[in-house]
Amino acid sequence: MAEYMDNTTWQRPAGAYWFVLPALPTLIGAVLALLVISASPARAVPAAEIGAGHMQWHSDGSDSYQAALTQHSKLSVTIAGMVAVVQLEQRFENSTDSWQEGIYSFPLPPEAAVRQLEMQVGERRVLGKVRERQQAKKLYQEARVAGKKAALVEQQRANLFTNRIANIAPGEQVTVRLEYVQPASYVDGEFALRIPTTLTPRYIPGVSALRGLEDQTGAQAASLSVDQYLGWAKPTIRVPDADAVTPLLYPQTGSDFAPLNPMSIDVDLDAGMPLAEVQALYHEMALSRRGDRYQLTLLNGISEMDRDFELRWRPVTGAAPQAAFFTEQVAGQYYGLLMVVPPALVQEDEILPREQIFVIDTSGSMAGEPIEQARQSLKLALAQLRPQDYFNVIAFDSDTRALFNQAMPANRHYVAQASEFVRHLYAGGGTEMLPALERAFRNESSKEEQGAQRLRQVIFITDGAVANEQELFDAIQAQLGHSRLFTVGIGSAPNQWFMQGAADAGRGFSVQVSKIDQVSAQMGQLFERIAAPLAADLSVSWPQQVEAWPSRVADLYRGEPLLQSVHFGDALPAGELLVSGQLAGKFWQQRIALAPQPGGAEQPGVASLWAKRKIASLLSQLAISASEEDIRPAVLDVALTHQLLSPYTSFVAIEEKISRDVNAPLRSNALPNTRPRGQGAQPYAYPNTATTGPANAFLGCFALFIALLIYVMRRPEEDHVSKDS
Amino acid sequence: MFRRILEQPRHWLLVVALVVAVQQLLSAALVYSKAALAPVLMERAWQLTLADGGRSHKPWPWADTWPVARLQVPALGIDQFVLAGASGNALAFGPGLDAAGRSPGEPGTAVIAGHRDTHFRFLQHLQPAMTLQLELPDGRMLRYRVAGAEVVDSRDVVEAPAQFGPAQLELVTCFPFDALRAGGPLRYVVRAEPGAFVNTELERRAAVNNGVLEL
Repeated sequence: MAEYMDNTTWQRPAGAYWFVLPALPTLIGAVLALLVISASPARAVPAAEIGAGHMQWHSDGSDSYQAALTQHSKLSVTIAGMVAVVQLEQRFENSTDSWQEGIYSFPLPPEAAVRQLEMQVGERRVLGKVRERQQAKKLYQEARVAGKKAALVEQQRANLFTNRIANIAPGEQVTVRLEYVQPASYVDGEFALRIPTTLTPRYIPGVSALRGLEDQTGAQAASLSVDQYLGWAKPTIRVPDADAVTPLLYPQTGSDFAPLNPMSIDVDLDAGMPLAEVQALYHEMALSRRGDRYQLTLLNGISEMDRDFELRWRPVTGAAPQAAFFTEQVAGQYYGLLMVVPPALVQEDEILPREQIFVIDTSGSMAGEPIEQARQSLKLALAQLRPQDYFNVIAFDSDTRALFNQAMPANRHYVAQASEFVRHLYAGGGTEMLPALERAFRNESSKEEQGAQRLRQVIFITDGAVANEQELFDAIQAQLGHSRLFTVGIGSAPNQWFMQGAADAGRGFSVQVSKIDQVSAQMGQLFERIAAPLAADLSVSWPQQVEAWPSRVADLYRGEPLLQSVHFGDALPAGELLVSGQLAGKFWQQRIALAPQPGGAEQPGVASLWAKRKIASLLSQLAISASEEDIRPAVLDVALTHQLLSPYTSFVAIEEKISRDVNAPLRSNALPNTRPRGQGAQPYAYPNTATTGPANAFLGCFALFIALLIYVMRRPEEDHVSKDS
Repeated sequence: MFRRILEQPRHWLLVVALVVAVQQLLSAALVYSKAALAPVLMERAWQLTLADGGRSHKPWPWADTWPVARLQVPALGIDQFVLAGASGNALAFGPGLDAAGRSPGEPGTAVIAGHRDTHFRFLQHLQPAMTLQLELPDGRMLRYRVAGAEVVDSRDVVEAPAQFGPAQLELVTCFPFDALRAGGPLRYVVRAEPGAFVNTELERRAAVNNGVLEL
């Protein structure tokens, strides 16, 4: 009979079950009983009753961070021409009832020349001095132990500084004022001044250094030594100063109405030329005008320090300067700042096929709005590819993932594939940048001549939140080859030093996307400037012997000015200087008359800028050829002469009066920064952590039970059926 | 004749019910046997990894996961291999280290997820102050202290594991433990805080490195 035939066929694969069949009733009964028993706790406590947030048991460790000290910043910016002199005032308040030492890490523009420090307690003012770093630390430490009020400002990175203030009395306020000089950038006929106010947490690569082990084993007492910065990271082999560059952030997000770190901003802008437009990109400012001078102040008085401050101003058409020369006399010495814009050229001949490698950072620090901005930027980058171009997309966080094994032609198929890849990028994990860069610079094209004919461009989209900047600069310089590196800075508070340094080492330039609505303008500008001809082999010949920094002028992209800081000695030069170079393969030169300027036209800050540029140039040699022993004395000499902060020099201010009784305890506390706006709270999806095992077992037993029922009900008929057959 | 026609669907029902039963029971057997047998192969891969100074080794040639740590709970007699990734294909063979979190031992939170009905069934028995041990591929032994546990709803917005701060460990599994259906929204999260490094291990490494501690 047909049904019996079927029986044999389905029983064969699971033959083991066949002999169990006679015992099925008891077996199923037992299994079901077991299942019911084992499942009963779940029924007794319905899932709805134990809901989310229900604490089973909890430790008494507290997660909330209460700041013992608060800080209020005041930024006063005075811009004359293209040099800004900025006063940054930080007022610290101790709201606890014990003596406090405050440790506040704060960012400054990487090109800022910090030249003055002043500490004010009540009406008393103490002027700071520049000392060699270790010596400054020692002086501060002695003052701290002795109970004197003291402030110490150290440079941790070109754009990250630490301010320590010792012996703030309960309920007292101490104000620290810094003054620095910063050049405005001038690209494509527009001036910009960008000042960071907070930082994106830097990623610390590398394995723990030996010091980390000591900390792990619980030497908490050591945290009060002056070498401690109370950062969240432990030193690693690749970042030995990790604790100094990882300041704490408030866990909650900031707001402009009740700022965690309030800041007021005042700007006095004297551009020296008629302006068509003045705007602050990320802050609402009230603007007033007196003649050619503009005054800006925050509309609400204060704002949260959770995003960069950027001011842009554009001269009216025709007034945009093509060349400018500023001078300053300090201590009988003359210094100058030269700015020349090479004429922009229209592309004449066909642009060579390009090989564009897009590298996108998908690390945890990119979570939130930044990854949106990055994805959008990449989308635009893919859209501008031409069919004759080649491209690849590399995403990295803790691991590096390349879309293709080698650069692929930008035809519709591959571009669509890339768009799909980009759409599925999410932020999470570490920032292991080195392998990604190595992958990007690896020239995949097997045929040498084919590779040589294509322009190889690496477009690097990141927030630059890494602590091993110098290591990366070195790697870029070493591996660059024929490629050029362009950085796209993402987020409200990207690491400007990394963006600029990486672009310089990669002989490209950097653009900035801080808001989603800037993406198309910034990416458009990036690709236009990449495509435009370069000004190459530039040189400046001065009428007399001068010390000029940077000594070798890098190639300029369209709209970029040539900038050189010079030291003339004790007399201003007379005559004219000659700037020459190759513009799109044609020789170009320009003569600029150096008319000795009347007394009023002196530009304050030019001397500090020269010193800062010299320090920066010397330090960048450290990467290539020079050793630290050669560079350090040279940097120290400039920094001490010009009273500037540098990696080797710190500012220290000490009050002579002893204010704290040495027996009263002193506590050290870090002042947290505010999380960059738009960054963060990345929704996290828990993994799926249940198997279908129990459900399978239950369903299987249930089906067996049904089968048994059918079998039992059929039994009386069985004889009859078998007779029939 | 009429009776035979009645009988026919009954036979078919029997066939269908038995096929379903066998298929379901086999799937369940597959789930549990994968979970039970994989550690044998993982053990070998882990020994190779340790011997090779931390370079990952696959447990079988076509595997898409490999052991990245060894998790031990001495109080409960638990000894398991933590695999790379917390996706379904890894979790079938053992608890997995979620790539969204940090690596154990680095600042921030490391997240290890496991199935509630196989490897991580023991989470319900963890008590505060119990010791967890995590052996890393480079031979380091990290010790954690269980600090607390809570039930979270994965449908709510949950913040990503901290990328910095104290080096914490989170063990995640589904909740409730005895639920029948997979894919529920609740998770049972056990948090553990770093304890001291296990001294014996450090001493052993110190001896190997001529007294110089390297981590």
